[in-house]
Formats: sequence, structure tokens, C-alpha cells
Amino acid sequence: MDPAARRLTLPARVESVAVFRDFVRSGAVAAEVPAEELEKLDLVLEEILMNIARYAYVPGTGAAEVAVAADGPGRVSVEIADWGNAFNPLEVEPPDFSRGLAERPIGGLGVFLIRSLVSSIDYRREADRNILSFGFPGPG
Amino acid sequence: MTIEPTELEKAVLLKVSGRMDAENAHEFEQACEQWITRGAKHLIADLGGLQYVSSMGLRSFLSVAQKLQSASGSLILCRLNGLPRQVFELTRLIGLFPVFDSEQQAIAAL
Repeated sequence: MDPAARRLTLPARVESVAVFRDFVRSGAVAAEVPAEELEKLDLVLEEILMNIARYAYVPGTGAAEVAVAADGPGRVSVEIADWGNAFNPLEVEPPDFSRGLAERPIGGLGVFLIRSLVSSIDYRREADRNILSFGFPGPG
Repeated sequence: MTIEPTELEKAVLLKVSGRMDAENAHEFEQACEQWITRGAKHLIADLGGLQYVSSMGLRSFLSVAQKLQSASGSLILCRLNGLPRQVFELTRLIGLFPVFDSEQQAIAAL
């Protein structure tokens, strides 16, 4: 991550999502990410943070750190770290799209959305941290 | 997010506006469940004013639709546009719900 990246650490809870969102948006606006892409960026961020809040920690405990840096014209790179259980969301099975309404599983859509909206995504476990980094905007 | 309900002859129309996210998606689900408890069989969600929906919101739509379907009812969507439409398309949920361009078309389908 660019050493000039801005960083913010907050409790990994649903109440922190809006604060992280404003923080990442300000980095994206500074990097001249087009305004019509910002809600997609909110979505990627929310999905990642909610996974951390639900799966990395006993819910309501632990923290997440978000870093954002410009990455070329109109682009940002974002890195999200936590100190919880090792969890690679990129290994989550894709949803089973063949099922009808009654059998369609309710989970698994978040990671699928994340992958659909970013240009690149990478997970690594470094010491006691999960680190997920992505490039934005994606292709569509 | 705001939810404005209107009771119609054969359904309840819920006009949903704003952002449906992890923090408030349960409010939509609760509002729907209250109408189901009061006997509503068909719910029409007018999403013309919905700007944003995350997977927690999708979870609520699916859960409500599954409950209604098991009681021979339905959750009907109308005026699904912009990012919410894209999210329903990407996750291929769009084919699981009846989706109409207008409230009138949704009502006429009942």
C-alpha cells in the first residue's frame, strides 16, 4: 500500500460502516473517481466490513482498519485489515444460481457482489491480520 | 430509508426510498412481516426511490418473498432502476421476482 495512503481504524461493527464509507468516499473524490461510481464503492466496502463484523470476530468485538490511496487517474486502491480469525472471503463458494425462489440460499451474495464490482482483489494473511485489498472502479 | 405503505384492494403497496443497507434492512423485513401478519397476501414494493441496496437488503427481499410464496402469495417489485437493478441482475435475483415497470402494471397482474 502507498505509504501516503490515509488510514482509519474503528470497531468492526455495523455502526462503523457509515464512518468508513465517508472516509473512503473522501479518498475516492480526491482521486477523481467518477461520482456515479461512488455508491458501488460504498457497496463493496459495506460487504467486506460486514463479513469482518460477522466472521472474523465474536460479533461486537475487534477492529477493522481501512486504508485508501489514489491509484492512477480516477482510480483508488483500498486495503481493509482485521485482527480476527483467518478468513479468506475469496474462498467462499459462489451462490447456486440454478435454484428457484423457495430453495435459493440467502447467504453468499455479498462476496459475489464484491467480485463483480472491483477491478482486482487479493487476500493475504500477514502475521495475525487478514488483509483484503482491491482496485476500484471495476470494468462495468 | 423510508417505507410508505398504501392498502390496495388486493395488495399492500410499499413505497421504499433511500438506502437499504446492513443497518436498516431489517426495518423493511419487519414492515413486510407486519403486513403479512395482518393478512396481506401480496406485497408490491415500489423501488423507484431506492438508491442503494446491499446483500443485507437482498437477504430481506428473499426472506419476505419466500414467506409469501409458502403462503401462496407473492412479493412483486416495480420501478427497479439504477444500482439496485444492477445488483438484482448481477446476483440473478431478478428472475425470481415478478418485476414491473410501473405500479399500475404490478396491480393489473394480480
